[in-house]
Amino acid sequence: MNDGPLIVQSDKTLLLEIDHPKAADCRRVIAPFAELERAPEHVHTYRVTPLGLWNARAAGHDAEQVVDALVKYSRYPVPHALLVDIAETMARYGRLTLSKHPVHGLVLTTTDRPVLEEVLRSKRVAPLVGARIDPDSVVVHPSERGQIKQVLLKLGWPAEDHAGYVDGEAHPIHLEEDGWQLRPYQKQAVEGFWHGGSGVVVLPCGAGKTLVGAAAMAEAKSTTLILVTNTVSARQWKHELVKRTSLTEDEIGEYSGTKKEIRPVTIATYQVMTTKRKGAYAHLELFDARNWGLVVYDEVHLLPAPVFKFTADLQARRRLGLTATLVREDGREGDVFSLIGPKRFDAPWKEIEAQGYIAPADCCEVRVTLTDSERLAYATAEPEERYRFCSTTATKRRVVESLVRKHEKDQTLIIGQYIDQLDELGESLDAPVIKGETSNTQREKLFDAFRNKEISVLVVSKVANFSIDLPEATVAIQVSGTFGSRQEEAQRLGRVLRPKADGHAAHFYSVVARDTVDQDFAAHRQRFLAEQGYAYRIIDADDV
Amino acid sequence: MTASQREPRPGRAAAAPRTLAEELRARSDEALAELLRARPDLLNPVPSDLTQLAARLSSRASALRALELLDRFTLQVAEALAATPDGSPEAAVRNLLAGPARVKAHPLADPVDRAAVTAALPAALATLRSRALLWGPDSALRLVIAVREALAPSANNPGRTGLGPTLAEATTGMSPARLQQLLAGAGLPPTPDPVTAVAALAALLADRKRCAALLAEAPEAALALLEKLVWGPPTGTVPDAARQVTADEARSPVEWLLARGLLLPSSPGSVVLPRELALHLRGGRSHRTVTPVVPRPTPAAERDPQAVDSAAAGQAYTAVRTVEELLDSWGLTPPPGLRAGGLGVRDLKRAALALECSESTAAFWLELAYAAGLLAPDGEADERWAPTPAYDTWLQQPVAERWALLARSWLATTRVAQLTGTPDGKGKARAALGPELDRTLAPSVRRATLAALAALPPGSTATADALLPVLQWQRPLRGGPAQPDGRELRDHLTDWTLAEAELLGLTGRGALATPARTLLDGGDPVAVLAPLLPQPLDHVILQPDLTAIAPGPLLTPLAQALALCADIESKGGATVYRFTGESVRRALDAGRTASDLHAFLEQHSRTGVPQPLSYLIDDVARRHGVLRVGAASSYLRCDDTALLAEVLADRRAVELRLRLLAPTVLAAQAAPETLLSVLRGMGFAPAAESTEGDVLITRPDSHRTPPRTAPAPVPGGPPRPDDVLLGAAIKAVRAGDRAATAVRRETVAGPAATPQQTGPARTDLRQLPRTAAADTLAALQTAVLLGERMWIGYVNAEGLASQRVVDPVKVEGGFVTAYDHLTDEVRTFALHRITGVAEVDESA
Repeated sequence: MNDGPLIVQSDKTLLLEIDHPKAADCRRVIAPFAELERAPEHVHTYRVTPLGLWNARAAGHDAEQVVDALVKYSRYPVPHALLVDIAETMARYGRLTLSKHPVHGLVLTTTDRPVLEEVLRSKRVAPLVGARIDPDSVVVHPSERGQIKQVLLKLGWPAEDHAGYVDGEAHPIHLEEDGWQLRPYQKQAVEGFWHGGSGVVVLPCGAGKTLVGAAAMAEAKSTTLILVTNTVSARQWKHELVKRTSLTEDEIGEYSGTKKEIRPVTIATYQVMTTKRKGAYAHLELFDARNWGLVVYDEVHLLPAPVFKFTADLQARRRLGLTATLVREDGREGDVFSLIGPKRFDAPWKEIEAQGYIAPADCCEVRVTLTDSERLAYATAEPEERYRFCSTTATKRRVVESLVRKHEKDQTLIIGQYIDQLDELGESLDAPVIKGETSNTQREKLFDAFRNKEISVLVVSKVANFSIDLPEATVAIQVSGTFGSRQEEAQRLGRVLRPKADGHAAHFYSVVARDTVDQDFAAHRQRFLAEQGYAYRIIDADDV
Repeated sequence: MTASQREPRPGRAAAAPRTLAEELRARSDEALAELLRARPDLLNPVPSDLTQLAARLSSRASALRALELLDRFTLQVAEALAATPDGSPEAAVRNLLAGPARVKAHPLADPVDRAAVTAALPAALATLRSRALLWGPDSALRLVIAVREALAPSANNPGRTGLGPTLAEATTGMSPARLQQLLAGAGLPPTPDPVTAVAALAALLADRKRCAALLAEAPEAALALLEKLVWGPPTGTVPDAARQVTADEARSPVEWLLARGLLLPSSPGSVVLPRELALHLRGGRSHRTVTPVVPRPTPAAERDPQAVDSAAAGQAYTAVRTVEELLDSWGLTPPPGLRAGGLGVRDLKRAALALECSESTAAFWLELAYAAGLLAPDGEADERWAPTPAYDTWLQQPVAERWALLARSWLATTRVAQLTGTPDGKGKARAALGPELDRTLAPSVRRATLAALAALPPGSTATADALLPVLQWQRPLRGGPAQPDGRELRDHLTDWTLAEAELLGLTGRGALATPARTLLDGGDPVAVLAPLLPQPLDHVILQPDLTAIAPGPLLTPLAQALALCADIESKGGATVYRFTGESVRRALDAGRTASDLHAFLEQHSRTGVPQPLSYLIDDVARRHGVLRVGAASSYLRCDDTALLAEVLADRRAVELRLRLLAPTVLAAQAAPETLLSVLRGMGFAPAAESTEGDVLITRPDSHRTPPRTAPAPVPGGPPRPDDVLLGAAIKAVRAGDRAATAVRRETVAGPAATPQQTGPARTDLRQLPRTAAADTLAALQTAVLLGERMWIGYVNAEGLASQRVVDPVKVEGGFVTAYDHLTDEVRTFALHRITGVAEVDESA
């Protein structure tokens, strides 16, 4: 028994005691292969998954290093079976390789013939491959490059993609670092991505993912397609790119419901890409409209299923995924791995906060007690109406009002799910409301007013969940959410995490109705952040 | 000869014993004890005297059983002996094994270390002697007949030597004229009779120079043919093998060989290579590969012995915890047993899911608990598997002692968990804990495998493939039945032993750990293991995400208390607990109060109690017990009228048929249990109430079987006799022997010797020769060996008695095959119908 900081559990979780003197060293060596699952105050939990191990293999680590790291830092003997399992899992990566053959084009080759035999016998692989060249290699239809990677991953034999990338149409882009420069972790992220070819960069909200995208474009110096969640975020990307790079307004096109511009750098929304007309995706030609050298996916964890399908056909182009969390509520992490690429960089929130790049946040759950009549109404409500009822209860309004009063000097966002509730709140607080039906120009206007501190309180619906750059928002009050969505909670917190000019802490309030499903959902939503080290305080509505 | 031949004559007392019984008689008590210890089957029942003992150990079944326990070299010695004529000297055996000096070995024969053979031979002969498979001095070694019969090479059964029958055996029944043809073919002068003809031919083949000269004339193809047969099997198929071809008529290579007696017909369609010629071609060697010493396995890896010990100790701890966890859950919900015995597939799956391991591993833990007597069927009409009372005792012991029980039980059990799920004889899958998992081979293979591992330097690991040759050398004949995949059962058992030893913590990262070494040496592993186990802790780390982490094993009371108020999320070196409303309520239901819990957490937390956790406890406690439910009339009362109204108004409560009794009391028509569960399902936290109005504290009852003993390992043979039994048995045998020999002296002189006064066949029952059954058997076996004629009394199936003069040919399986002079034919006699035997006075 040594006194290492790590405890290896039989379910392949790793517990890292962070107060231990060797904890930092240990974190550095386990981070490449273990996914940080929870990072509460004292003991962080990492999980060793096949995807994580393959990520590590893709990054050039071998099983020996992984086993050494575990054995070296483990406090208790590491179960032998686990070590064997790790070695076996890692050995599965790279047995199959996709590469370019001068004569046959794209070929799948193996170093282990039985593996090739096994996968070729699979019904799902058969239609994707062509003639057998020799016992160890087989032709793959170039159009099926993504498909076959996806299928092979499902079969447990992830293929290494050495087939390379097309350079795409060259376009000069460079960063204009006047009065600002890339933060160290952003540089590392870009290097990690560029070295790996394609992949995903995981950074917390507010940590400057857009800049990582811009720097990657500057590295690629080619035409770029950027896919983002919505129009607002598309505009912000455009704004940021004009400000930070040599690109001009004219070089950047917006491809959305309203505009259909195709320029050397084109920003498209997921929504327009997935719009169907007469049963067919109407805007697919965008992918072929130019010879893109780089495709950037913003908020990868939200990538809609059809986009995965298109992405499968884009395997010859460099792909960069940006996200705050690899957790997908639909569990399609494997598709992200096989189609966009392995994780190339990741830094825990708290670490970046400690470096001062995101604002420290004070998270607070405010518990509201329902009145007797409200409880009765809640008990008799239809099950599907219960959450709506308790999360929009009138009692919450009073609490929100007192919270806003408490922070009247701060820029405050009030975020909610139900439009009625938001309208009511907007009325009682005399604040503008931004919701789905608000026009984009109106939105921009309100956001500008908020940024310029012309208005101090803004009520927003879930349209503002993503990618709105409101650096001066210091207080967010969440009154209702999309049931138990963890990533929504993280995104909403992200709204207030941009570093503040005066460096003071942000406040995040979640107003919750006690003893109702609202409280259960809130607990579920908070899990991600509690696991990221944001300790929620609980206060009573009466104490506000 | 007379019956008195069994007795050493005074004048020759110092001479070599002439029979096995005599040899046994001359043995010391210690030597007899050693024999009986090595062959305990001879003691069932205790033989009445040494003649009977000699007869019993000469029986085929007993001899085969004894052969199975020989190592490869000793067996090879026996096989070489069986290929020599009875009474051959030690040197003949040595030459057969190592090849005669200055004779070039056959190119296909593996080289032999002559010195090693010479060194190992005396010990091998001593083993054979001490087990009474061999007797006689080194100058005239004699195998027990049953052993010779089992091992002697013949055309149909070449054995592991691959040799054929001797020339004499192969030419039995050949016409004298044909023999003379063969002589002529081999270029030998004619002889007067068949016996001398065979002898002349045999002498030719045994003479290296003359034989070589004869073969030098052989055509290439004939030599190539011989080469195919030389290492066995010694028979080849040819059409019309019995053709009487002479040297001049020989056309084909086969005919060339047949004409010279170098190949002999063994059946109408096949020829056999006579043993003498095979030996000549082999350069005198009986075995192609001779292994005088046990092979040394090559270690697969060397590990730091300290790391091995700590890894094994960690696993030992896990093993104990796993069994505990399994049995605790089975104590609460004992799974039903199958009617045919064992556990259903679904319950095994459930156990595997609960233990987070594969089904075969789950089966291993179950069988382990069963073998250790901690788990048993409860014997009720609807049988269930549940922990035994011994389990409760076991739980109280320190971890090291608990492990020792598991490890000992595993070493001794004949149950093989890995057979679970494999198809049995009828193609049905064998059930875990079922009746078909016992394999007598298992304990010996387990010990042998671990012993082979122990023989390596500390910290060495070895694969099953590396260890298997050792086991095969030690007991070449004990491989067990072939499995569906074609490998022997032992091959699988060796694999499984290594895997299970790792699970149990006998080995760590593949190498044998110190506690296991102590255990194998017969010592007590507890003192060795205890300091290696992780020390239990008295604190946990509480975190704001409502988890508690025990960074190591906890003291049992702490672990139990924590398991009550939090759910276990992950296990291993550490344990991760998660607090939920459900788990806190469970603790409150069990009688804890909120302040108890606060104090408990405060006391055991290294990091203080995070605010969300205290809120959770207070939240649950605030609601806990606010609703009270009566058992007798099934009521629901509450001081909070609004809450009660809320319950009453709730649609999901309709099935309870609630009625407001008072502003604070509701009556329900449902049973209190239903009431409780429905209310909980609605998200309330009601508490049950007794008739006195106290809060009822509920805790699930644990299920136990009546007292049960562990299943006894199924013995692979008779039990090992202890020294007391051996001493008594030898005394009894000696006493019986003295009595038997004394009586015989009278028999010789007295009227009971009448049968020897030969005469025409009589049918008077009283006139029949009468001897004890054991004497009959011994006498007949001797007669077979010496080719003597015997006088037997025989009672046929109709009860008709007769006397016959017979030439016994074979004694086997309770029957004597003999040439009956009365009917002039070869027939079999049932041994139990033979009333007695007497030797025929040839002079009469």
